[in-house]
Amino acid sequence: MSTLTTIRPELLRLSQDQVGVLTPYFLILSGIILAILASVLKIFSPKWPVFILVIAACGAGVSESFRLLDQSPVLLFNGMMISDTYSNFFNILFLLAALFTSIISFRYLDREKLQHPEYFILLLFSALGMMLMASSLDLIVIFIALELMSIAVYVLVGFRRADRRSNEAAMKYFILGSAASAILLYGVALIYGATGHTQLKMIFTVMQIHPESTSPVFMLGAILVLIGFLFKVSCVPFHMWMPDVYEGAPIPVTGFMATGLKAAAFATLVRVFITMGYGRGLSEILQHRVHDLLWVSAVLTMGVGSFVGLTQTNLKRLLAYSSIGHSGYLLIGVIAGSKSDLSFAPGVFYLSIYAVMNLGVFIVLGLLSSRDDSGLNIHDLAGLSRRHPWIAFSLAVFILAMAGIPPTSGFVAKYLLFYSAIQADEIILTIIAVLCSAVSVYYYLRILVYMYMMEPMGSPRLLRVPLWTGFTVAAMVVFTIHMGILPAGLVDLARKAITSL
Amino acid sequence: MPVFKGHLLSVIVFLPLFWALMGLLIPGGGREGKKVLQVWAFLGSLLTFVLSLLIYFIYLPKGPAFQFSETFDWLPSIGITYTLGLDGITLSLVLLTTFLMPLAILSSFKSIESRVREYYFLLLALETGMLGAFVALDLFLFYVFWEAMLIPMYFLIGVWGGKERIYAASKFFLYTLVGSLLMLVAIFYLSYQYKIQFGHYSTLITDLYSLKLMGGNTLMATQNILFLAFAFAFAIKVPLFPFHTWLPDAHVQAPTAGSVILAAVMLKMGGYGFIRFAFPLFPQAVSYFQNFFMTLGAIAIIYGAWIATVQPDIKKLVAYSSVSHMGYVILGLFSLNEIGVTGSIYQMLSHGISTGALFLLVGMIYDRRHTREISAFGGLAKVMPYFTIAMMIVTLSSIALPGTNGFIGEFLILLGAWKVSPFLTVIGTLGVVFGAVYMLWMFQRVMLGPIRHLENEKLKDLTFREAVVLLPLVMSIFVMGIFPSLIMDKMEFSIDRFLHQSSSDWANLHLQASHPDSMIKKGN
Repeated sequence: MSTLTTIRPELLRLSQDQVGVLTPYFLILSGIILAILASVLKIFSPKWPVFILVIAACGAGVSESFRLLDQSPVLLFNGMMISDTYSNFFNILFLLAALFTSIISFRYLDREKLQHPEYFILLLFSALGMMLMASSLDLIVIFIALELMSIAVYVLVGFRRADRRSNEAAMKYFILGSAASAILLYGVALIYGATGHTQLKMIFTVMQIHPESTSPVFMLGAILVLIGFLFKVSCVPFHMWMPDVYEGAPIPVTGFMATGLKAAAFATLVRVFITMGYGRGLSEILQHRVHDLLWVSAVLTMGVGSFVGLTQTNLKRLLAYSSIGHSGYLLIGVIAGSKSDLSFAPGVFYLSIYAVMNLGVFIVLGLLSSRDDSGLNIHDLAGLSRRHPWIAFSLAVFILAMAGIPPTSGFVAKYLLFYSAIQADEIILTIIAVLCSAVSVYYYLRILVYMYMMEPMGSPRLLRVPLWTGFTVAAMVVFTIHMGILPAGLVDLARKAITSL
Repeated sequence: MPVFKGHLLSVIVFLPLFWALMGLLIPGGGREGKKVLQVWAFLGSLLTFVLSLLIYFIYLPKGPAFQFSETFDWLPSIGITYTLGLDGITLSLVLLTTFLMPLAILSSFKSIESRVREYYFLLLALETGMLGAFVALDLFLFYVFWEAMLIPMYFLIGVWGGKERIYAASKFFLYTLVGSLLMLVAIFYLSYQYKIQFGHYSTLITDLYSLKLMGGNTLMATQNILFLAFAFAFAIKVPLFPFHTWLPDAHVQAPTAGSVILAAVMLKMGGYGFIRFAFPLFPQAVSYFQNFFMTLGAIAIIYGAWIATVQPDIKKLVAYSSVSHMGYVILGLFSLNEIGVTGSIYQMLSHGISTGALFLLVGMIYDRRHTREISAFGGLAKVMPYFTIAMMIVTLSSIALPGTNGFIGEFLILLGAWKVSPFLTVIGTLGVVFGAVYMLWMFQRVMLGPIRHLENEKLKDLTFREAVVLLPLVMSIFVMGIFPSLIMDKMEFSIDRFLHQSSSDWANLHLQASHPDSMIKKGN
């Protein structure tokens, strides 16, 4: 009980090391504060200053995190947070997602006449929440970070205030998301009740010393926490909100959710699993329960993601189901991680690869959409390769990567993931997974069919591609192909990140 | 020179892709631009052919198993390497690929009018994929090429194909993909088993050959299940009855060059997969499934021939004849003796040549008349004499007349199969008869008799370009038919080695049981 009562001032004093590793967080926080200040200045339009501040903060945060990648782990705030290779790896991912989302949002907001500085500030808040979440070692901190991340995104989802779908999405997401947060919090409370701790490492220690503390109460708590996470990563049966929210949210926000939010939830889940000794000292019964729960959820998630996706014609909804399917594959990584030599590294690798291609798809969709996010039916892609060969090519690369076809990064990622599943003796699960991915290839192919094999309908307008967006997309295409051919560097980095835990 | 030789395979594999990428930089547009692109692509494929001829001459038939090998670490954390190498069997298939590619490109000069740049880019990229799959010695690398090959073919069918092209392209893609994915799971399993048995990761095929996997006479034995996973992927590619249904669609809808490559090279990928991977990795499973697959092969021979007989469309007829011809390949491979296997490989090569030529010929009359219905023709011999000669030679090669390439393959296969199962051999031999029926009947209806349609009276005979396309094929039909040793000498030791690897257990079991007189002539 002592941990909660004593937040002693001397523990909050930061050493040189600790200040050093906190720079990314400080940079983002100061970016947020400066952006808020800039946005209330009435002298000139806040549009540019806020945008530049956000970009600068993200950029500086990324470069700082790169610098800290090789840092040995540093415990922070009485052991409630940690900065290690793992957290910095994901900080880079979150901040890059925020950076690219900001870049494409700028034009988008102009077009939709929604240019309010709050947008960028909320985006940065959400990114900060993600960073804190992936580096926290305490269930309470996880909860706070999760809320920081989610609440900002709830607002962003409903950012197109005049649009009914956007409102509906925000409302739905908010209510269901709050319920999930409540479930998570309830689970945390039960765990605290059973062990007297909220810090992951302490919980683990208590469980090892007193195995009897793995009581039904604890078990229930653990499963409720897990459900909270499954909701955030939209695993079946907690996926209902996702297609609607994806459809209703502004496109850049959808992209940000599909990459950042999902990566943050998975990153935290993996950290919790490893720190709690899943597969390495956690009680057998609990491990079996969790394993079975995840197994069933993974199968259902892959199934829904691939089969329901077949009938979608709206691209955003289609991608929502694709995203659900990918959550299923990632769950395989979580299941297999404890028993395979590669540990959770394939999952981490997959997350980073997936983030890039998914964000790429949404950037391209943002280019293609017309006002009010219309024009995103699959039929609107007809003949795209003739009008805009390079846009079509980029989209094709991302789509093939999502389908896991070599020589794109998606194949290597799937290869490693399924390979680790075989190592963990999950042969049935792997077979289900590859068959589901074969089914999902059908709807990915449909996108290619429309772009390359159909004649354009009506009189489609020609798009102007802003220079920065074009540059961003090109970089992502290069990354996607590069990682498909020479993945060793990133794989090693992912392994290093996992071993730093 | 050693540096060059050490990387020759990489150069050959990636030259077409490199060439294709360079082709993207050529300023195209207008008739002139189109011409430049065509010639550029043609030169690239020709250069690749010349380089592969170089290999043919440098290759030592009695040398080490895999020559020209090169290896680099690729993904060291799970033992994946970039390893290429080539033996006599691969050599012949590589030559087939590089030989047909310039002809396929040359044949598209007139028929492809739209999106020329992309078309030749995809064709050359496809060549890289196919060559890579043939020479890859690492299972991961092989799988990458095997799947990557699908993308260009998918677009070739889907963009430049006929009316039902989208359906055909999607079917082709999904069918092949489903098969390969199960193989992928088996690859994971093998690689993991290797780690368990030998303590380090490897996906190198020569390492995996030494794996000890449980075999047995139940379906659930490890070897048998793994073999099925591999065989499923390869059987779809071959395509073996009953997994052949994607083939007629894909062949008929694909543009001419696509059909040629598909039939001549990509189908061989299935047979090659059996030879390089499925057989040597799971020898006991091969003997367990021997009868089953030989029966399927025999069914495919008869079934393909019967269905081909009733096709109203020439291209479909040729497509189903492929099912029949590839049935021989399976029959010969699974007879597991030197004669049968040699015949199978020879049959793969000669099927590549003759079916490739048939698709080209069909493409030529399609370019003139824009129909492929047999009933729309008749009496073409009167207006197109040179075309008729070419067609006749190719038809005869397809029905395996002695003196042509087709004969040697089918004869050896039937001879080899006889030693294992006389009954199936008789059925296979019936296939030869049916083959003569559908090919000659088609020839008669298209070429002979009076001209029944006015449009056909003004058909032009072969142009110079078309003659250039056909001449090498016709010549190789005879060369392969009369001097088989040119190719067989290079393969002999590789085939011995293959048989040794894939039937050592089988021979022990089987020789004592039924045929004491040696069926397997062991190499050295």
